Amino acid sequence: MQYLPGQHLYVSSIIYFFIRAGVPFDTVILLLILPIIATLIAFLRQVAGIKAFGIYTPLIITFAFLATNGLKYGVAIFAAVILSGMLMRFVLKPFRLLYLPRVAIMLTIVAIFILGVLTIGGDLRRTGLAAVSIFPILIMITLVEKFVTVQIEKGDRVAIILAIETLIISIIGYFIAGSVSFVQFIALHPWVVLLTLPINVILGKWTGLRISEYFRFREVIKKM
Amino acid sequence: MFNYLRNSKKILGMNARNLDFIRPFNLSRAKRLADDKLLSKKVLAKNNLPVPKLIAKIKDLDQLEKFDWSKLPDSFALKPNRGFGGEGILVVYSHKKGRADAWVKADRSIITVEDLKSHIRNIIDGAYSLSGTPDIAFFEERLQLLKLFKPYAFKGIPDIRVIVFNKVPVMAMLRLPTKESGGKANLQQGALGVGIDLATGTTTTAVVNKSKIIEYVPDTRLLLSGIKIPYWKDILRLAVRAQEISGLGFLGADIAIDRERGPVFFELNARPGLSIQIANLSGLKERLEKVVSLKIKSIERGVRVGMDLFGGEIEEELEYISGKKLIGTAEKVKLIGKDGKEVEIDAKIDTGAYSTSIDTDIAKELGFADVISFFNSLDIPAEFNREEAKQVEDSLRKKYLGQHPDLADITVVYSSNGISVRPKISIKIILDNIEMATQVNIVERQELKKSALIGRRNLGKFLIDVAK
Repeated sequence: MQYLPGQHLYVSSIIYFFIRAGVPFDTVILLLILPIIATLIAFLRQVAGIKAFGIYTPLIITFAFLATNGLKYGVAIFAAVILSGMLMRFVLKPFRLLYLPRVAIMLTIVAIFILGVLTIGGDLRRTGLAAVSIFPILIMITLVEKFVTVQIEKGDRVAIILAIETLIISIIGYFIAGSVSFVQFIALHPWVVLLTLPINVILGKWTGLRISEYFRFREVIKKM
Repeated sequence: MFNYLRNSKKILGMNARNLDFIRPFNLSRAKRLADDKLLSKKVLAKNNLPVPKLIAKIKDLDQLEKFDWSKLPDSFALKPNRGFGGEGILVVYSHKKGRADAWVKADRSIITVEDLKSHIRNIIDGAYSLSGTPDIAFFEERLQLLKLFKPYAFKGIPDIRVIVFNKVPVMAMLRLPTKESGGKANLQQGALGVGIDLATGTTTTAVVNKSKIIEYVPDTRLLLSGIKIPYWKDILRLAVRAQEISGLGFLGADIAIDRERGPVFFELNARPGLSIQIANLSGLKERLEKVVSLKIKSIERGVRVGMDLFGGEIEEELEYISGKKLIGTAEKVKLIGKDGKEVEIDAKIDTGAYSTSIDTDIAKELGFADVISFFNSLDIPAEFNREEAKQVEDSLRKKYLGQHPDLADITVVYSSNGISVRPKISIKIILDNIEMATQVNIVERQELKKSALIGRRNLGKFLIDVAK
């Protein structure tokens, strides 16, 4: 255990070793939190039945939230992306465009829309919104492609449900990974991360009903 | 609560479906066959199983440019080879009058060669295939809707999903296209799923939007239960045969019924959905576990086992022993009147009555308005008692029979409302697929729930189950 004056906390020797080697503290912590968030998402899918857009999207959105200053700005940008994605679907429908050009047009509109949102935010002295760094914004814009794919394959309703589920998972992830005591815990006990391996083996063999399925099949279960 | 937990163990969930059934029983080679519509069509046809006829296929933009549009028939279906959930399917019903380059869709909108080209370009580009991989577009013959399904299906062909496992059909449902589903028979898009009793091929309960249980076709009073699916045993046989051929241990076979050709395969499904359990109000896991260890040698045997294990066995057995059909106290009947006029109604099955009676309005619909007004113009005695009844009946018969061609008889009926004199007409009744030529009397039944009552006289061939 070593005291890290820059972060005002104690870290385990192995983490201290990484930092001495020149890896920034934030990078170490983010890399260690990543498998935990991924496991959380796997758990929510297999046991709770919250689908979201796969595993990568909620994971990366969680980190985008962590990188924006304040959850509300992250959620605002997320909502802006989904909203413009939905609107553009109606606008572009009559043109019957091929897939990639259609996504490109969507990205264009979303980018302009976000720029508008940021400007309005700046105008209203919500400087926090305008000051959000570009990378989390870019990450969230990539959400559009995922959203459009699901829209085409499964329809608007499913796409919106999955978007909301993604948002929920990312917010849960944000609160876990963003809490000081959790970061402190990981900094002191980094080996905990290895526990995700056996947990995922169990999740990978889990054949029970998902919580959402108890709800979906409630009538059958009652009337059987 | 305890019961709830025990019942929930009978349900097949997504995790168990993937891990316990799809993974071990559907090998990737078989899955590839199911995901490739053209290939599965070819394989099924090669084994003499009925499939919609292939008209043409277009593999790339080059073939699209060179395509001879004049060789397309009046009606056809255009499909993406690797489409899923019914997306990207386009059906036309006829040529637009006087134009060789335009067709009419189900909603009467016009579709031109240019529209087809743009749609095919999208298909080739992978807009409707899983993960957007390039795809093949193909034209196939359009199936003709069966008359029986006409009132139930909205602008499309219903199909029957049969889950087959270990050569045994374990569960089935009828999928009816709706307005919401845009004429497609996919539950994901809002089609109705109707559970089917495996032994008799009769529909039981219905579900819409994946979990809502319904009784009637939306916006109508058409009952969804009690539809008897024709060719039922053939459909089960075909499904089991398809499993043998495809090598899919856990198969969802989609079979449609063509008006002329009978049962025809639509597609094979390696990852059948789970809503079929709601439509049948029954758990799939429990059924699969019953079947998993059986050694089934022939198709016939597999079908038999499925029907015995998962059908209303008692009912079928009773019918088998007595040679009589089992019906409930309320049944759908079809009445056939003058000039083949048909009316289908819900009738009360009443063993307390001797003869069958129908409502005046129904009789009018069947073409007997004339005889009713004739009868009403007659001089009928109103006040008489039971002793005089026979005499009254005889004298009325003597006086009026033969004066109107449709008046088959005149009868005195004792009912809970007292004595009444009623005219009789000759019609045909179809009850549970049995046709009977008979005389029925006409009476005002407007205040009663059912507009017809079937009496003992027409129930000789049936057993009545009051719990049904």
